[in-house]
Amino acid sequence: MSEAEDILNNDEIIQWVTFTLDGEIYGIEVIKVQEVLRVTEIAPVPGSPDYVLGIINLRGNVVTVLDTRRRFGLPDHEITDATRIIIIESEDNIVGILVDSVAEVVELKKSVIESSPNVGNDESSRYIAGVATLDGELHILVDINKLLSEEEWSEVADI
Amino acid sequence: MSATLDTEDEILQDFLVEAGEILELLGEQLVDLEKTPEDMDLLNAIFRGFHTVKGGAGFLSLEAMVEICHRAEDVFNILRNGEMTLTPSMMDHFLKVLDILHEQFDQINNGEMPADADADLLAVLDAMTRGETPEAAPEAAVQEPAADDQADAEFEQMIAGMDEAQADADTPAAGSDVITEEEFDNLLDELHGKGKGPTSETDKATAEPKSDEISEDEFDALLDELHGKGKGPTAKSAKAEDEKKSDEINEEEFDALLDQLHGKGKGPTAGKSTPSKAEAVSAAQPEKPAESEPAKVSEQKPAPKKAAAKKADAGAAGKQPVKTVDTTVRVDTKRLDDIMNMVGELVLVRNRLDNLEASLGNEDISKAVSNLDVVTSDLQAAVMKTRMQPVKKVFGRFPRVVRDLARSLNKEIELVMVGEDTDLDKNLVEELADPLIHLVRNSVDHGIEVPDDREKAGKPRTGTITLSASQEGDHIQLTIVDDGGGMDPDSLRKIAVEKGVLDQESAARLEDRECYALIFAPGFSTKKEISDVSGRGVGMDVVKTRIAKLNGTIDIDSIKDTGTTITIKLPLTLAIMPTLMVGVGERMYALPLTSVSEIFQLEENTTNIVDGQLVVMVRNRAMPLFYLNEWLVTDPSERDNSGEQQVVVTHVANQRVGFVVNAVVGQEEVVIKPLGAVLRGLPGFAGATITGDGCIALILDVPSLMKAHGKG
Repeated sequence: MSEAEDILNNDEIIQWVTFTLDGEIYGIEVIKVQEVLRVTEIAPVPGSPDYVLGIINLRGNVVTVLDTRRRFGLPDHEITDATRIIIIESEDNIVGILVDSVAEVVELKKSVIESSPNVGNDESSRYIAGVATLDGELHILVDINKLLSEEEWSEVADI
Repeated sequence: MSATLDTEDEILQDFLVEAGEILELLGEQLVDLEKTPEDMDLLNAIFRGFHTVKGGAGFLSLEAMVEICHRAEDVFNILRNGEMTLTPSMMDHFLKVLDILHEQFDQINNGEMPADADADLLAVLDAMTRGETPEAAPEAAVQEPAADDQADAEFEQMIAGMDEAQADADTPAAGSDVITEEEFDNLLDELHGKGKGPTSETDKATAEPKSDEISEDEFDALLDELHGKGKGPTAKSAKAEDEKKSDEINEEEFDALLDQLHGKGKGPTAGKSTPSKAEAVSAAQPEKPAESEPAKVSEQKPAPKKAAAKKADAGAAGKQPVKTVDTTVRVDTKRLDDIMNMVGELVLVRNRLDNLEASLGNEDISKAVSNLDVVTSDLQAAVMKTRMQPVKKVFGRFPRVVRDLARSLNKEIELVMVGEDTDLDKNLVEELADPLIHLVRNSVDHGIEVPDDREKAGKPRTGTITLSASQEGDHIQLTIVDDGGGMDPDSLRKIAVEKGVLDQESAARLEDRECYALIFAPGFSTKKEISDVSGRGVGMDVVKTRIAKLNGTIDIDSIKDTGTTITIKLPLTLAIMPTLMVGVGERMYALPLTSVSEIFQLEENTTNIVDGQLVVMVRNRAMPLFYLNEWLVTDPSERDNSGEQQVVVTHVANQRVGFVVNAVVGQEEVVIKPLGAVLRGLPGFAGATITGDGCIALILDVPSLMKAHGKG
C-alpha cells in the first residue's frame, strides 16, 4: 500500500451540525449534539454571567442555556421562529446553546479542515477548532470543550 | 478446588462487605463488653465475629488478618469459657486489635495485601492465651481435652472412612452427587456440637448464604483442620471458607462418612441428623443406584429425638437468621438514587396533574388524579424507606469514641443512647457522622468535668452523655445531652469580646441563648489550651455549616453547672424538600421551608432605617428587612414594589431576617435539581426545580444569598 493511499484511507470523515449566527455558518461535531429544540421558556438566573441566558426544563432535567451570540461577541438578536437551542453534551455536562437557526448535517474530511486563521483578539476565535470550505461557503467549526472550558467555569464560580 | 480465579473478586467483595459489618459491630460489642465483662452472649458474639472474619480472610489467604483474628479468637475462647476474666488493659489490646483489623481492611479495600500486625501485640495476645489467670484454668482444661480427644478420635475414624471411599470412587466428578447445605450443616453441627455445641450455629448463618455444595477435597481439608486442631471452634472457620467455595461432595463419600459417624455407636453425636435430613439425603439419591440407601436412612432414624433435644440445648438461633438473610438483597445506592430521582419526577407530574385537574373540574379525572395522588405518595414513602438506615449506623461508633476519649482524659463517662432504630436517609447518615462525632467529643472534652470536680459539685463521679434520636413529624431530631459543667453566658460574652467576634455593647445585649450560639462562630473557642481533642475553634463552625448543608438546624441550650443540650433537627430526606413558593417580580422562587419561620403582610409604617439598614419591628424587636427583587430582578424598571407585599421571616445563623416578596404562593414539595456545571457555585441558589405547572423555579439558599448580597 502506498503512502498516499494510506493517508487517503485514514482521512476520517467527521459529521458536523451546522448552524447560523449573524449570517455566518458554524459547525459543531454531531457526536456532541444531543438534540435540537425550539425555544421554550428560559428562566433567567439572577447573578449569572451575561452569556448565560437561563435554565430550561428538558423533560424534568434542568439545563443551562448559553447565548452563543454573546459568547462570540456578536450583537444581540431577537428570538425568531428559526431560533433553536442545540443541546450539547460536553464532558458529562449538558448545556444548551442558543443559535439563530440550525441548517443541516454536513460531512467533512479531516484533510479539508484548516486550522483556524489566527486573527488575534477576536472573541470568537478562542472557540474555533478550524475552518472548512464546502460548496463555496466557509464553515467555522466550533470547539465545544473550549466554548465551555474549565477556566470559563471557574470564572463563573468566582462571580 | 473449584474456587476459580474469575470469581475471586466477587468473593473478595462479599468478604469486604461482610467483614466490614462485622468489624463495625465488634467495635460496639467490645465497648459493651467492658461494661458487662461477664455477658456470655456478648463474649460469644465477639468470638464468633473474630472467627467469621478469620474464616473469610483465611479463605482469601489474607494471612496477616488471619494471624491476628486467630489470636483474638483464641483469647475470647478462653474468656468465654470463664478461664479468664476481662481486664481493662486486655480491653485496650482488643481495641488495638480492632484498629489493626480496620487498617488491614482499608488496605484490602485499596487492593493491597494487609500488612502484618504488630508483633508485640500478637505476643501479648499469645500471652493471654497461655492464661494469665491460672486458677480458673485447670477446671476447664480438664473438660476440654476430654472433648477434644473424643472429637479427635472420631475425626480420625471419619477420615479413614473418607479415604476408603475415595479409593472406591474412580470418577468422582461424574458420579458425584450433591449434598445440600443444610445436610452439611447438620453434619458439622454434630461434629462440632461434640466439642463446643452452642457456638457453631450463628456463625454459620453468616456464611450460609453463599454456601452451596462442598467438594470432596474441601471436605477433606475441613476434616484435616478439625483433626489437626482437635478443637471444635476451628471447624467453623473451615466451614465458612468451604461453604463459600461451593462445591460438591461425592455421594459415596458422604455415605461413608455418615456410616462412620454412625457406626461409631455414639448415638447422640451422630444422631443430630433430623428426619428432614434423612429425607433430603434419600431425595438426593435417586439418580444413583440406591444400594445403601435404605440402610442408611434407617440407621439415622433412631437419632432424631436426641437431635431435637440437643438442638434445643444448642440454641435454635441458627436457623432463623438464615431466613432473614434470604429475604435481603443488596442494592447499589446509585440504583436507589435513580429510583428516587424517578419517583421525584412522578411527584412532579402528579403536582402538574393536580393543577390541571383543578382547572378542568371533571369529576372522573378528579377521581383518577386523587387515586394517583395516593399511590404516588405511597410510592414516594416506600422508596424513601428503602433508602433509610437506622441512625445506629452512626451511633454505633460513639461508645468507642467516648470510651477512648474518657480514658485519655481520665474522666468517667457513661454514654446512653436512645432511639438508635430511628431511620434516616442513607445520605444523611453518612453526612451526619463527622459533625456528630465532633459534638460528642466536645461534650466529653468540654462538657463533662473530671470526677473529682464532679464530686465537689455534688454530682456522681460518672458523667452521663445521652445521645438520642427521634422522628418528629417530617423531621428527625437528634439531641446530645451532657450533665457536665454547662456554659456560662457571661464568660462567653467576655470571650466573644476578647476574640473580637463582638464588641462590648452588642455582647452585653445578647440574650443567654444567643450567647450559647456564639460557640458556632468561626474562631471561637472557650478552651484555654488547645488539645488534640478540641479547642481550635474551628469545629463548631464547621459542624454548623455541615448541618445547614443538610437543610438542618442546630440549637444549643445550657444551664451552668447542670449541663448542655444540643439539638439538631434534620429533614427526613435530602432528595425532596418542602419549600415555600414565593413570587418575586415575574418569577417564582422556592424558599426551603426549614428556614422559614413566619409570614406577615408588610405595612409601610412599620419599617425604619437603622444604620443604613432597613428594619421592620416585629413584636417590638427590630429585624433586618431585604427586598428580594433588588437581588433577584436584574432590571430595576421591573421591580414592582407597589401593591401588597409579604414578608417572609427566615432564620440564618440564629439571626432572623425578613425578605419582602411580591407574593406568597404556597407550600410545595419539590425535587432538587442541581444547576449545571456552568452555573455551579453561583451563590444564592441551592438548585432548581420544576413546579407543578411545568415552570422552573430556582431554589434559594438563604445563607449563601445573605452572604452574597446582605450584610448580615
